[in-house]
Amino acid sequence: MKVEILFPEVANLYGDLMNPEYLRRSCPDIELIGTSLRDRPLFADEEPSLIYMGSVTEEGITLAVEALTPYRERLAELIDSGRLFLITGNALDIFGEDISADSGWTQQCLGLFPTHAKYKMMDRYNALYVGSFGDMDIVGFKSLFGHSFGSVEPLFRTLRGDGLNENEKGEGIRKNRFMATYVTGPLLILNPPFTKWLLAEMGAADCTLAFEDAAMELYRQRVSQFKDPSTGIVYH
Amino acid sequence: MNKLRYLIAFITAKLSVIALRLTGHPGTNLPGQLALRICPDFLGRIPKPARIIAVTGTNGKTTLTNLLCDLLEQTGEKVVSNRYGSNLASGIVTALLSGCPLPGRQSATVGVIEIDERSAPRVFPRMTPQLLVITNLFRDSIMRNAHPAYIADLLSRYIPASVKLIVNADDLISCRVAPQCEREYFGIGPMPGDVIECVNLINDMRICPVCHGTLRYDYRRYHHIGRAVCTSCGFSSPDCDYAGSEVDFDKMTMRISDKGGSAVYTLLNDSVFNCYNLLCAVAVMRSLGFDHGQISELASRCSIVATRHESIKAGDITLVMQMAKEKNALACSRAFDYVAGREGEKEIVLMMNCLGDVKHWSENVSWLYDCDFEFLARPDIRCIVATGARALDYRLRLLLAGVEEEKIICVEDEMEAVSRLPFVKGDQVYLFYGTDSLVFAQKVRSRIEELAREAAEK
Ligand SMILES: [Zn+2]
Repeated sequence: MKVEILFPEVANLYGDLMNPEYLRRSCPDIELIGTSLRDRPLFADEEPSLIYMGSVTEEGITLAVEALTPYRERLAELIDSGRLFLITGNALDIFGEDISADSGWTQQCLGLFPTHAKYKMMDRYNALYVGSFGDMDIVGFKSLFGHSFGSVEPLFRTLRGDGLNENEKGEGIRKNRFMATYVTGPLLILNPPFTKWLLAEMGAADCTLAFEDAAMELYRQRVSQFKDPSTGIVYH
Repeated sequence: MNKLRYLIAFITAKLSVIALRLTGHPGTNLPGQLALRICPDFLGRIPKPARIIAVTGTNGKTTLTNLLCDLLEQTGEKVVSNRYGSNLASGIVTALLSGCPLPGRQSATVGVIEIDERSAPRVFPRMTPQLLVITNLFRDSIMRNAHPAYIADLLSRYIPASVKLIVNADDLISCRVAPQCEREYFGIGPMPGDVIECVNLINDMRICPVCHGTLRYDYRRYHHIGRAVCTSCGFSSPDCDYAGSEVDFDKMTMRISDKGGSAVYTLLNDSVFNCYNLLCAVAVMRSLGFDHGQISELASRCSIVATRHESIKAGDITLVMQMAKEKNALACSRAFDYVAGREGEKEIVLMMNCLGDVKHWSENVSWLYDCDFEFLARPDIRCIVATGARALDYRLRLLLAGVEEEKIICVEDEMEAVSRLPFVKGDQVYLFYGTDSLVFAQKVRSRIEELAREAAEK
């Protein structure tokens, strides 16, 4: 099973590269393949079991858009045909229409989803997140320069915290098996039930997660803490 | 009107200095806070020393600021500095006020001012230093600082073009900041222990800043610090105006050379970070016109405060208080690397939990996965105590780092956790604590000392 990691040289912030690494540790059949900005992506010629991209610098967003633009139609085809994607943190914005920042920076993105991101470069948004995916609780963090706006099918239903933006309870983007979310943590380490579901989707249903008991004990602690109304959600 | 506002702010701030002194609370930033509240442009209006040397960057700011103050004071300069105060605008104003006997007069001849790297937009339009040292830029708190390229961009936008920079040639993130400014570079040539490939999780300079091709490192100290060449366009790290070489931790010396000569300097301690701090201070002094002979003599009378690393004998063990800034993957990685390199058997206590976050929400733990806990997976580390609100997070991270499960002691209550330490004769016990647990760490320290003495008596 191949997991393609897009642009680890720029998309490596906030521990996000531990997401694919945790999959590999949990399932030895998984091979991680990093695609650099100048490489021809693996997905151009093959259908990897999962295409992953994590939190990225602002310059990295520009470079990633440049690198992916020639493959825009191929990405649309893979999304429509139900290939598995997991996109975390601000990498979500690359798949929307555009980004505009109050510093004057603007970026046209891939336009695969009708979302517009707005960044405030001196006013970072930091928050906890609790939501649900099917009958699973999802917990994690957000640390972002902004939010995005636009009508999309969400990935998670928010219980406490904000979704794609402060007026939106739906978090992330889902289309078929394309999944993007602002939630970091890293997401897969903090949410073992979701990780098991993801591995099953990849065809590795019988894997035990690496240190599953320790991960589950921590998950239960965090879920109950984040659901507790006395725990603050948005950090000021 | 604006002038009147400045005068009122000045008088109020000065009165608050007296009030604080009388009530036994000197050294706070309240005077600066008051002044800025009354007159938001106070920093722009207050008279400044003829020369200001500013220091910013992620690591080493305070050490370097202290060092520069000590060096310059010995030369007879009257120095104002925020070395004991805050590095935000309020702390800078408080420092400048201390040199002003009157609203229109500054008695200090030199200002040595530490500036928080994120305060650039508030500080630089109002205060233009002659020299600005940027020590380095690393990943810091993700909540405040996001990533180093963001901070570099912020500095580039706000540093006035007339400022002369002294920057780190071994750090391709910070040394290219503010292209509008003239600059001199410092750096340290190959050292024992350098590597080629990055062994750290944080490696924030992987592509060429010019063409975005792959960078190849000739040598790398840690993370992105080292000397790199682009495999596509030939871009390379700049040459050094002030070059450290012949670093010798046995003799505790380093040679520093520039176009005007060279001298052998005594190191402040055995950490690589402090080699850079010393080099940086010498670069500033050389840039101000002092010769190597003078500087090395002045530097030999300086020492650095050992707040970050303190050893205490207790019973049969040595307790080492190791500060490692909470929520800062890089600071903790450097501290883990340093401790892993010490000889002898070790018992480790991890309590860098952010106490502020525990009270109000929950700590963002993603930094744990940027931090090299892998350095702690060693046979000479006997056990690791994971404690505090995030004990279970530490445990999972340690397991993923390859630490054997039976070595991990996971107890949330800190006082109870340290009672599980084995205190084996001759061991070093390292207590890792953060900047917001200074007071609490002292309580835990006392408890460890007590337990260690009891263990020795048995
Ligand atoms: Zn290049």
